[in-house]
Amino acid sequence: MKNPEKRIGADHLGSLYTDGRVRRRREWRGVPDTLYDYSRWLHNWVTIFRVVLSKPRNIKALFRYRWMANYLAVPMMVDRHTQGLRGEHLRICHVEQDLIIEDVAKLLDKLFRGDRRIDNDKDFSDKVVLVDENEMQSLMMGFPTLVPLSREIASTYIPVLLNQRAALHYIDIAQEYGLAGDVCPMPEAEAGVSIDDDAPVLGKCAVQCNTTCDGSLMGNSVIFKRLELEDGIPIFQLATPLRHQEPDVQEYAAQEIRNAIAFIEEHTGEKWDWTHYFECAKRVNYATKCRMEWLDMNKTQYPQVFGSNLALYTETNYMAISGRVAAFQDADRKITALAERAYQKKKMASNEYRHRAIVWGVQSHYYMDFLVWLLNCWGIVPLTDMLSMVSTKMIADTDTPENREQAIYDIAWLTENMIMRNRTHGGYKVLLDELWEIVEEFNADMVILWEHMSCKALDGMHGLFEERAREKGIHLVWVSHDLFDPRVISRQGVRDQINSYMRTVMQEEPVDPSLEELNDAESW
Amino acid sequence: MKSVGKTLCIVFLKLIATVCCLFVVTFAAYFFNLDMKLTAKMEPILFHFYDKVKRDQHL
Repeated sequence: MKNPEKRIGADHLGSLYTDGRVRRRREWRGVPDTLYDYSRWLHNWVTIFRVVLSKPRNIKALFRYRWMANYLAVPMMVDRHTQGLRGEHLRICHVEQDLIIEDVAKLLDKLFRGDRRIDNDKDFSDKVVLVDENEMQSLMMGFPTLVPLSREIASTYIPVLLNQRAALHYIDIAQEYGLAGDVCPMPEAEAGVSIDDDAPVLGKCAVQCNTTCDGSLMGNSVIFKRLELEDGIPIFQLATPLRHQEPDVQEYAAQEIRNAIAFIEEHTGEKWDWTHYFECAKRVNYATKCRMEWLDMNKTQYPQVFGSNLALYTETNYMAISGRVAAFQDADRKITALAERAYQKKKMASNEYRHRAIVWGVQSHYYMDFLVWLLNCWGIVPLTDMLSMVSTKMIADTDTPENREQAIYDIAWLTENMIMRNRTHGGYKVLLDELWEIVEEFNADMVILWEHMSCKALDGMHGLFEERAREKGIHLVWVSHDLFDPRVISRQGVRDQINSYMRTVMQEEPVDPSLEELNDAESW
Repeated sequence: MKSVGKTLCIVFLKLIATVCCLFVVTFAAYFFNLDMKLTAKMEPILFHFYDKVKRDQHL
């Protein structure tokens, strides 16, 4: 399906690339869209200066923590995700990115305010509860006066979104100290940050979650040793069941939540606030409702909130925000309004739509804008992805005695259904069977299957995916990567797997040939 | 009255000229990606500092 609208400047996007760190110039998107993009660029720089660079503590941290250098690339990350976008799709992306940038800027500022090495604000630090990067922050929905912060989000998760090589130093450090090299490089890098003495030290207590894999357990134990045994910050181990679809684990999961809340109350002296919890629960439900509307639109011929616009925002809003920040509800509202407007006008986000794809598996973190590339280069529309297909269950959001009991089960359910865990664990139904149900629902003709080579949970299912794809006559394209480590498979290595499938099996030519081969190995 | 009006007019014109200059400079920085080209040059300088930080590196 070709886009009937003329899209200024969207024909040869590959010409913007250079062999170095950054792009030659920014896109010309026509006068209104370029001026809009310029205004958001200016806004984001103002946010960075206002929240981060105007405070001496953050400048001190910039020269102390190696991972802080990656934040120099924030505007480029926005450019990567807005590539080729015009009109409403560009605006949706900016509504999300502007908010995420502000939220992350505040996270950095708070981390350094409490950090014993930087500002060492003891009173503030006593209000901080450290949480894992891969942890649903729904556990903190009833603690309005406490500040949940994740050191790993700031030091590893976001830096790799900004700079593909951000984690390499820390992966190498972890392996120099004898940690296994075949585990997921994400927890390995997090462990490397701790070993390298490069994590801010703050907080009254912490909660670690048994996320999803051997690497994550290894990383948590390394971090635990330093944080609890050396820095004296007590840690609660939230051991959430992995077989989350089974009814017989739910009571245990709920008890773990009760224990975690009691632990936080005991160490901080704060009490769980039901009024605040139910306020947040209403926002969680609103976010779920909006996400379901976007997904419904994506089942039609004119999808509107998809690709990285869906993936990045869902990860942030569902897991890290969990209804605690009212600004995200406003963003949900704006995104829905923009999407509805674009849907009514039958707007398309690229020059041509050729294939409708479901993206499954754990995506390459160092190449999050791959979804944008798929669309612009080959006209493959990534309708939704595995990490965006999270819980759509409405949680109890009115304060009644029965709902207070139900709320504990809801928090447990959300924690069990954390992004990634809800698919990579819980049995083959959630990983394998539901994929084909989603393919049918979204009327997709293609599955892009990420093969994160260090993720044992998914690698074991390789043959089963192929068998089902053959049965159903769906094009299944494997895309191998190593999550945080582009030395194993480069971004071009990722693209080549699509290029060769599209040329040999599909016998197609790219929509934008300038994007097929890019020398971006040195790029941020 | 005339001189006050004239001064206000000059101030207004200067304001417009300043805003225009700021727009031209920032738009050029935006369009030619000068901000990212500059920050890319800063990266190796920061690495120099990180290598000098004393660390208690251990498992």
